[in-house]
Amino acid sequence: MTDQIREQVSALLDGELPQGEIGLLVRRMERDPELRRAFGSYSLIGELLRAPGGHTARPSFASRVSEAIAAPEQQPAAGVAKVPERAFWKRPGFATAIAASAALAAIVLVRPDAQHRNAIVASQTAAEALGALPLAGATSPTPAQSQRLASYLVAHSQFSSALGRHNVWSGLLADDPGLTRVSFDMSDAP
Amino acid sequence: MKRATVWLAATVLAVVAQAASASPDEARLWLERMTGALATRNYDGLFIHTTATQSETMRIVHRVDRDGNLERLVSLDGSGREIIRTREEVHAYLPDRRVVLVEPRTDEGSLLNALPTPGERLEAFYELAVKKGRKLLGRDVQIVDIRPRDNYRYGYRLWLDEETAMPLRSVVGDGEGRPIEQILFTRLEIKDTIPDKEIEPSVDATGFQWIRTGRRLAKQPAPSADWGPLRVPPGFRLVASRLQLMPGSPVPALHLIFSDGMAAISIFIEPGSATGPAPPESSSIGSANAYSTSIQGHVVTAVGEVPAATVRDVANSVVPLRGPASPPPPGP
Repeated sequence: MTDQIREQVSALLDGELPQGEIGLLVRRMERDPELRRAFGSYSLIGELLRAPGGHTARPSFASRVSEAIAAPEQQPAAGVAKVPERAFWKRPGFATAIAASAALAAIVLVRPDAQHRNAIVASQTAAEALGALPLAGATSPTPAQSQRLASYLVAHSQFSSALGRHNVWSGLLADDPGLTRVSFDMSDAP
Repeated sequence: MKRATVWLAATVLAVVAQAASASPDEARLWLERMTGALATRNYDGLFIHTTATQSETMRIVHRVDRDGNLERLVSLDGSGREIIRTREEVHAYLPDRRVVLVEPRTDEGSLLNALPTPGERLEAFYELAVKKGRKLLGRDVQIVDIRPRDNYRYGYRLWLDEETAMPLRSVVGDGEGRPIEQILFTRLEIKDTIPDKEIEPSVDATGFQWIRTGRRLAKQPAPSADWGPLRVPPGFRLVASRLQLMPGSPVPALHLIFSDGMAAISIFIEPGSATGPAPPESSSIGSANAYSTSIQGHVVTAVGEVPAATVRDVANSVVPLRGPASPPPPGP
C-alpha cells in the first residue's frame, strides 16, 4: 500500500477526502483486504478515544492489540451467570477496540444513482473490531464435515429471524476460518 | 493520524450528548418496525461482515412481489460464495468446493409463525433500550440495544434508519459484552422494483455437485421422532419440528426448532454412523455455534445464534422421550 493511499485513508477518516475520490477509494477497499485492515487499524485509534479516560493512543497500542488478538478468551460458563456491567452496549467502542483483530469498516460512499429517491448513501466513520473466539484442539474438517455443517446452517437459517438469517448466511459465505475450527474434545463425551 | 483522532474525539462528545434512552416499549416498537421492513421492502445493499478473524464485503438483494420474497446474498471477496432464496428453495453456491446445497424453502403457512419475532415476552430475557444515534450513512438513526439478562444468549446493538427502520449496522455481542460479529452497510438502496437479473446467481455451476438436503419426508417415520432435549434455556420454546434428510444419511433426521423471540436454536437428531460414535465436535461461524455429539447411537447436533456453551448444553441434554416429541420443560 502506497503512502498516497494511506493519506487517502486518513483523509477519509477525517472527512476530508474530496467527494470525487471517495467512490474510488471505497471500491478499492472492497477489493483489497490489506487496505481494509489498514483502515480498521486507523479506525481503532478513534475507537479508543471513545473509552472513558482515553485521550490518546499510546505507542504500545499496536502491540496491545496484537496481544489481545492472540490471547484466548473465556467461553461462557455452562451454568447461569449474570452479564457483567462492562458490556459493549454500555461503553460502545471500548471493549471492541481492545479486543480488536483485523477489522475493518468505515466507509464513505457517494450516491451512485441520484434517481433513486430513497437511496441511503453517505458517510460513516465508525470502526468495529471484534474479539476472537478460539477453540482448543481445533483441526481442519474434512470436506464432508464442512458440507454437513453448511447443511445444518442452511436448514437452521430458515427459522432464524431475518437479522439472524443474514448473520448466519454471511458467516457461511465468508471464506471463514471458522469452518476449520472444528474441535474434538473427548472429555465432553457422554 | 492527528487529524483523524481530533475529528473523532469531537464526534464522541456529540454522540454522548445525543444519547438519551427511551422506554423498552419504544425499543420493541422499533424492533417490530425493523422486522417488518426487512420482510416487506425491496432493497439492494453492500455491507461489510466482520467476525473475529476477518472482514468481507457482501451484497444483499431482497425483492418482494405478489409471489413472495426472494433474496440473494453474495460474497464479493475471496470465495465468491452465494446464497439465493427462490420461491421454492434455498440454494447455497460454494464454488470453492464446487458444490451447491439445495434446501426446500419452508416458510410457508404455519411455519411463518415459527420465525422469531419480538414480543412482550422478549423483555423477560433481554433488557431493551433505544436512544438517538449519530448519523449513519447520512441518515438519522435510532440505536436499539437488546441486552441479554443471562449468558445463554447473545446481545445486539442495532442502528436503525429512522425513516425506514432498516438496520444500517448491527453488532452481536457475547454474554460478556464483547462484539462477535458485525454487519455494517456501506450502501443501502430502497427500491421500488428489483430486476430479475439482480436475484439470479452469478456463479456458473456447470459441473458442480448438487446436494439436495431436507427433501420433504413428512410421511416417513424417523427412528429419532421421539427424542428431545431435557433442558433448554429459559424463554426458549419449541416453535416447529420436521423430518428432513441430511447429507450422507438415507434416514431422515428430526429437526426441532426453539426460539426465545430473538434467537433460534435448531436440534438435529439422526441415527448414528455404522462405524460407531464420533467424538463431540464444536464449531463457530460468526455468531452461530454448532455442537455435535453421540447419544445412545444417535448423532445430536445443536445449531444456533447463541453462545457455544448453550448449544453444547442443549445437545448434551437430548434423550429419548416417551411418546412423540413434545416441548421440554422450562430450563433452569
